[in-house]
Amino acid sequence: MWIALVITHGLLAFLLLGAITHQVVSVWAPVRSGAGNFVARFRAVGSANYVNAVIVLYLVTAALGSVIYTNYRITARLTLEQGHFWKSFGAFELKEHLIAIGLAMLPAYWYFWRPSLEASDARTRRLLTTLIAFIVWWAFLAGHVANNIRGLGT
Amino acid sequence: MKTRSRFGVFAVTFAVVYSAVYYVALYNNWPLFSYGPAVAQWTLFNHSASDGPTMYWYGWIATSAIVGALAGLVACWLPGNPGGRMWSGLAWLVPLCSIAAIAHLLSGYFTR
Repeated sequence: MWIALVITHGLLAFLLLGAITHQVVSVWAPVRSGAGNFVARFRAVGSANYVNAVIVLYLVTAALGSVIYTNYRITARLTLEQGHFWKSFGAFELKEHLIAIGLAMLPAYWYFWRPSLEASDARTRRLLTTLIAFIVWWAFLAGHVANNIRGLGT
Repeated sequence: MKTRSRFGVFAVTFAVVYSAVYYVALYNNWPLFSYGPAVAQWTLFNHSASDGPTMYWYGWIATSAIVGALAGLVACWLPGNPGGRMWSGLAWLVPLCSIAAIAHLLSGYFTR
């Protein structure tokens, strides 16, 4: 069961990673004219359409991760400690705190992505999106590395 | 500058207070509850599990979310909506500072 949960968690995280990366690229490098090549089309997505998906995916992925975390705490974490994988261990510790801080920003992230946003709040929207993207990328990579060192159920 | 809506005030206040309280709860180990995964044991506040490791992460989140939500509700229902003029950048700046402080707390793992 744990392996199925980890795989589902990873797939949801992958969807979240795609959605938030599209959004962060489009807020920092929006395409003004017609999108020609692949990179331009990547930048030209309608960022606002991703907001609800990002929030739902973040919450579901975090909830699933919090269930798996109980197993990690009594299995994989011991392997990381006993093997002295301190950087990976620290990266995973930081991941759990980043996810928790990300939860704090979700209501503001939703609010500042409303269509009726004031121009003065555009920077807030951009930086909230960037910070959430950083959290998602860190969480994905730290989780992936920890799973490579000691996968659940192995 | 246009005054922010009540939900906007709640959202910014929640981000600020939750992030700050999360760091304080982590630093002082003030979880609302604790969990022992080896024995599936939940206890109120900061108590070690009867066997195996104890997890406080859920409790720190609960502490921060409750305090953040209460602060947000108070801020958005204050007469005259003074929170409506609060700088929106606090919604990312305080979480960023909290992340930096937590990274500093954990820096020992990266320098071993």
